[in-house]
Amino acid sequence: MIPASTVPRLIGSVAYSPNVVTVWEGMRAYFTGTDTPIDFVLFSNYGRLVDALIGGTVDLAWNTNLAYVRTLLQTKGACRALASRDTDVVFQSVFVSRAGTGFDGLEAVRGRRLALGSRDSAQAAILPLQYLHEAGIGDDDVTLMRIDSDVGKHGDTGRSELDALRAVLDDRADAAAIGVNTWQAITRGEIMTGAIESFWMSPEYSHCTFTALPALSTEWAEAWLADLFAMDWENPDHRAILELEGLRRWVPPNLDGYGSLIAAVAEQGIPDRW
Amino acid sequence: MVNHGLVLDLIDRLGRIPAGSTVTLDVMSGTADAGEIADNIDMIATWCRASGNALVESRHDAVVVRHGRSPDTLAGLHPDQVPGTRLWMYTNFDCNLHCDYCCVSSSPQADRRALGADRVARLAEEAEPAGVRQLILTGGEPFLLPDIDELVASCTAHLPTTLLTNGMLFRGARLERLRRMDRERLTLQISLDSATPEQHDAHRGPHSWERAVAGIGLALDEGFDVKVAATLPAEQTHEVAPFKAFLGTLGIRPENQVIRAVAHQGAAHDGIELTVESLIPEVTITADGVWWHPVSATDASQFVRREIFPLADAIADVRRRFVRHREAADRAADWFPCS
Repeated sequence: MIPASTVPRLIGSVAYSPNVVTVWEGMRAYFTGTDTPIDFVLFSNYGRLVDALIGGTVDLAWNTNLAYVRTLLQTKGACRALASRDTDVVFQSVFVSRAGTGFDGLEAVRGRRLALGSRDSAQAAILPLQYLHEAGIGDDDVTLMRIDSDVGKHGDTGRSELDALRAVLDDRADAAAIGVNTWQAITRGEIMTGAIESFWMSPEYSHCTFTALPALSTEWAEAWLADLFAMDWENPDHRAILELEGLRRWVPPNLDGYGSLIAAVAEQGIPDRW
Repeated sequence: MVNHGLVLDLIDRLGRIPAGSTVTLDVMSGTADAGEIADNIDMIATWCRASGNALVESRHDAVVVRHGRSPDTLAGLHPDQVPGTRLWMYTNFDCNLHCDYCCVSSSPQADRRALGADRVARLAEEAEPAGVRQLILTGGEPFLLPDIDELVASCTAHLPTTLLTNGMLFRGARLERLRRMDRERLTLQISLDSATPEQHDAHRGPHSWERAVAGIGLALDEGFDVKVAATLPAEQTHEVAPFKAFLGTLGIRPENQVIRAVAHQGAAHDGIELTVESLIPEVTITADGVWWHPVSATDASQFVRREIFPLADAIADVRRRFVRHREAADRAADWFPCS
């Protein structure tokens, strides 16, 4: 049992939506009632957040998959992933086109116009290109339309993906690559039936994860994780936070799920800091 | 043809605002075709239902969507305040007194407008299945009715019941009617405004205080649970310690002492202003129909509907209107932030 501490650990997160404040105020309130209190600080972009983690300004970073991989590379593998959302360990990228185009796989985009999300979005730019490359489709085999609507936030706002979808609807692009969360959001109620359809879904990979450096004691981290995993969807107070952050429960990270992104970052020469 | 891009616009805009805030989305999007606009609205409504966002208003040219579900207005209330938990019935409007602040202008000259034994019995029967937990009979002065004991019996047979009275008529046949009432299921709520006669009599008439106090004593002696309710100008409602001490000497328990402010309704020339926007409803039935609240049962602006039955429908109607008012107030708050 960790004795109650009067000094909360500091968690860094990126302000990608107004609701982030509500989420972290809720998290802080929840952990105030535990032996592992936290406070939080918000950053405008993931580059700053990773810098703050490595610089010791924050104890933990709520990282995207790209931010985790960058931290991993900059710390030469010393950082640790601690926990993810249940939705993070089954993330996918989705290729979509107008309904009725007959696209039936990645090969269909050869020679076509493909809209991608922000260039630092793993789900809507980096990994889709990686999947194309693995399928033997090079950058010169498609006309790429990069929509950098929210660079710095690693696609978290979803804005660039919505812009990519608009490009498809407006016939400025033949296909778009988006994250499965955006795909699920736009297809609620099956309203996109007859307008947009998916023609390829990627294997599952890992997305966001709490990241710590070795300076954070294992004992504290384990106690904090026990408190984190105790958040309960059936508890209305917890649920309000979980719902806003897009999960039903916190889970251990799936480290294997970062392999495809690590390979993509290396192959595409993604810089350490963005 | 439906414009799917509207959903993309909506998701984008919702992502930029905090949960609980609203966005107004133009659904015409360059078209004047009424069918196309209706299709756009249908699509937005379908998406909102499926995505857990709330379509709170639909106009001919735009929709208002709340980020996330609308707060459950009823769940936010104390269980006792949920409309329909208590059912008020005006048995009659005539009264032996002519109080100058009566919220429904009762007096000896007022028409009786009796609800009647049949309707009271049916209301009592339908009440519990409709979620009502307490029945409250009021007037006018209910003891003017020759069948008040039957009305009360039909209520106490189903639910705990409170009967409001001025306590001044417990004599002769009326006393016998009182004695026939179920002491286990009935609470008598007797009106008394002050610890001494002056204030009470000034509003209710000479010697009314003395008779009300006597009525309280009689009801207690008869073994009834007795509440005492005072109606005071709002500025006096915090200066009640001497009055409460007096009620204690009469044997009225603290939890049975009710202090309420004069409302600007009925015969009252002034008092607190109560509107459907500011008043949590308490479903109230009169001979004329269903009203928002017992304090405003003659205020046309607070008339809900003529159809009393089925009672469950009447309660549902009041709840729907209440939720609508609260949502409108929330939207107004969105538009007019105070800081």
